[in-house]
Amino acid sequence: MTVAAPQLLDDVSVVAAGQGGDGSLTVTTLLASLLRQRGLSVYTERDVLSRIRGGHAAAMIRASVHERFVGGDDVQLVIAFDEEGVRTTAHRLAPDAVIVYDDSAGPLGCVVPEGARIYAAPFGRLAVRHLGAILYKNSIAIGVATRVLGLDDGEVRTTFEERFRRYGQLILNYNMQALDLGYGLADEMGLQAGGGIFELRRGAIGERLLITGNEALAFGFLVAGGRFFAGYPITPASEIMDWLERTLPRFGGVVWQAEDELAAVNMTIGAALAGVRAMTATSGPGLALMQEGIGQAGSAEIPLVVVDSQRGGPSTGLPTKPEQSDLNMMVFGGNGEFPRIVLAPGHPEDCFTLAVEACNLAQRYQCPVYLAMDQGTSQNLATLEPFDLERVEVDQGKRLNAEQLAAAGVYQRYAFTDDGVSPYTVPGTPGGMSLVTGNERDEFGRVSTDRINRARMVDKRALKLERALDELPAARRYGDPAAPIGFVGIGAAFGPILEAMEELESRGLTNQFLQPRTVWPVLEETLEFVAQCERVYVVEQNATGQLAKLLVREGAESAKIRNVLRYDGTPLRSGHIVQDVLAQESKS
Amino acid sequence: MTETFPVANPIWCAGCGHFGVLSALDGSLDRLDIPRHRALVLAGIGCSGMIQNYVEAYGYHALHGRVLPTATGAKLANPALAVIAAGGDGDGLAIGVGHLVHTFRSNPGITYIMMNNATYGLTKGQASPTSPGGFKGSTAQRAMDPIMLGLSLPGTTFLARGYSGAPEQLERLIDAAITHAEEGNGFAFLEVISPCIAYNDTYHDWRERLHAVDDDPNYDPTDRASAFRLAVEAQAERRLATGLLFRSEERSLENALTSDPPALLDITPAAHLDEYRQVMQSFAG
Repeated sequence: MTVAAPQLLDDVSVVAAGQGGDGSLTVTTLLASLLRQRGLSVYTERDVLSRIRGGHAAAMIRASVHERFVGGDDVQLVIAFDEEGVRTTAHRLAPDAVIVYDDSAGPLGCVVPEGARIYAAPFGRLAVRHLGAILYKNSIAIGVATRVLGLDDGEVRTTFEERFRRYGQLILNYNMQALDLGYGLADEMGLQAGGGIFELRRGAIGERLLITGNEALAFGFLVAGGRFFAGYPITPASEIMDWLERTLPRFGGVVWQAEDELAAVNMTIGAALAGVRAMTATSGPGLALMQEGIGQAGSAEIPLVVVDSQRGGPSTGLPTKPEQSDLNMMVFGGNGEFPRIVLAPGHPEDCFTLAVEACNLAQRYQCPVYLAMDQGTSQNLATLEPFDLERVEVDQGKRLNAEQLAAAGVYQRYAFTDDGVSPYTVPGTPGGMSLVTGNERDEFGRVSTDRINRARMVDKRALKLERALDELPAARRYGDPAAPIGFVGIGAAFGPILEAMEELESRGLTNQFLQPRTVWPVLEETLEFVAQCERVYVVEQNATGQLAKLLVREGAESAKIRNVLRYDGTPLRSGHIVQDVLAQESKS
Repeated sequence: MTETFPVANPIWCAGCGHFGVLSALDGSLDRLDIPRHRALVLAGIGCSGMIQNYVEAYGYHALHGRVLPTATGAKLANPALAVIAAGGDGDGLAIGVGHLVHTFRSNPGITYIMMNNATYGLTKGQASPTSPGGFKGSTAQRAMDPIMLGLSLPGTTFLARGYSGAPEQLERLIDAAITHAEEGNGFAFLEVISPCIAYNDTYHDWRERLHAVDDDPNYDPTDRASAFRLAVEAQAERRLATGLLFRSEERSLENALTSDPPALLDITPAAHLDEYRQVMQSFAG
């Protein structure tokens, strides 16, 4: 029998799919470790339901010689523990994809691409029969899958040891036995060691972190001097609180799970009032509750950092699915008018950098600062260069200590100043007794309805934001600055746009991309970008084009703006963008 | 000495019960030798929510019903502060009652003075959760008792009730409450019957229906069940007990969660770079 030469890939997307609890995430996490060792960039996505066990659950890992921040359009390998796992992935399978299938319940019955190659074995039944627990089926399947990918048996065994050692010798042994079972099956199916179906090129990606956006953000908060977090569990933001719970106390910080988001935001405000760098994190439904508190911080001029990890809305919506539909709430929410800043990561590294920026901006301008995340940006793993910790600066704005207070003849918490920002001190500081309130107030903080004072105070608060414009985080830019076609996108739109640019470029559509890191206020640079392009595609995951409308509202020429929208609860991919743009280009 | 905000004259009606609370609270800071810059007075929305304007201290005007989480956040950020929360029966038992339940459970070292006049005075006299059934036509709802709420929750450590019309007792109770929180024993809850002479003048009524337990040798403030039983009995007769009604010992929230005040930590990155690098290493895989 001639063995075909392995197909050389510099880019592979692997999906592990089954029912919740089958271990799809475990499979992809293990593959992530293995593929990193080959110098490849790694990116993962998850597709789960709002359940503890059961229901369709899948995880995707993409490994590539080039940096990629989105799952591939095509899936080369799917490891499926049930038929639903194959069915839901079928539309994304490459024409000659490999399907490693658990046929414990019978042979695969659904439609697959004509050229798909199926390697089936009863992983579940074997796990129960030989190892006493069905959970080991994913380790058996990994044995087969790693042979498909042409990965070295020894390297896989080492990674298994590293991964499972922490669970004790017994569990480690079972998993190693499961792996050997898998190799045995692979041998029987003609997938010999050293002769896989695929061969993955080695990359030159060096020492990297493997980290999610939520973790990077939480770490950024720590390094920025954040020492208080209050929150309430909500998908997909909970990991921020989890991570901080484990780490912040080591640095003297406090993490508290409040009874609801109303308490969480007000505790954060109380902590910030007392002078600590404080943050809360939630998703759409929780943010709706926090609007009252955010307005209070905006009115009373209290530094407040709020993370919104957006998910499918409205209301309870799609708790585990990606969307970018809270922009309007972040930019315009709350009763009345008050200054706030909305920052948005795009490149995953921004999650760290902008968390630091948010803390500094909140204290410098004494206002709410949002970090607009989304389910994908929050929960997907990416390989990133280690963060540059030496460059992190802490700026607490016009904070007065006791000496400075004593030198000032009078202290007014809301004093009118040239830039709208009043010097402030914190409770406990001698000589600084003062009133802080959400009511309209005079310079001393006393409730006031005086018409002249009122207008001045409104202008004072607005002035803060005007003065902030020069210091707000600037956009990332990619592509040819003279290109006629422009892209604008944030969050999980970043990765697919970047990839789509290459495909479009190869079809003669030269293009450039501006990833705004400050969404509100809309910066001049964003408007200039639209002005200098011939047409701009604003790519976002919502139905009403919130980001596009924001740009137009603030002065971008609406005739130049085109929408690329996605709101079906699945991740944006570069293929979607390419198709949509080609369709719109051919009409124009 | 820096000039700070001029303490105002209260806007309360002459004869308002809140004057008694203000006087006792202001005096308490002096009696307990708490420097004014170490005191943080937070108040909710309502007539009672103005009290911070009338006390020389750091003051904060909270959202309606949210004074307790704000106070808790401030105390956790800097446990050295004397944190005193104040509000009315609507603020604390209607919109804010969820937070009261969980503050009882978590026991942070703050004092909470609930000025109970059984009405919403500032919005012109609507019924509140402590209004008797039939007040202003409100029908089926019975008046609730926050002391009984506190007794029903494990973890409560200080429950007391005072009355604006009994100033000596009120002074003692406020001093005891603030001391309880100051000494790291946790949440000190003090309800003060503080009549609204504009919309629900009950001074004459309360004179007959309040009885002090301070000097009652048979009243055991450490017996939760008996305190509850007595409260139920009093409720049946439309009477209320005043004094220190319950106390116990539990660790305060700030003692459980903090050592050095988080607000006063050195957060310059350079001071922690090695530790931060170690944390970052955990992602290096």
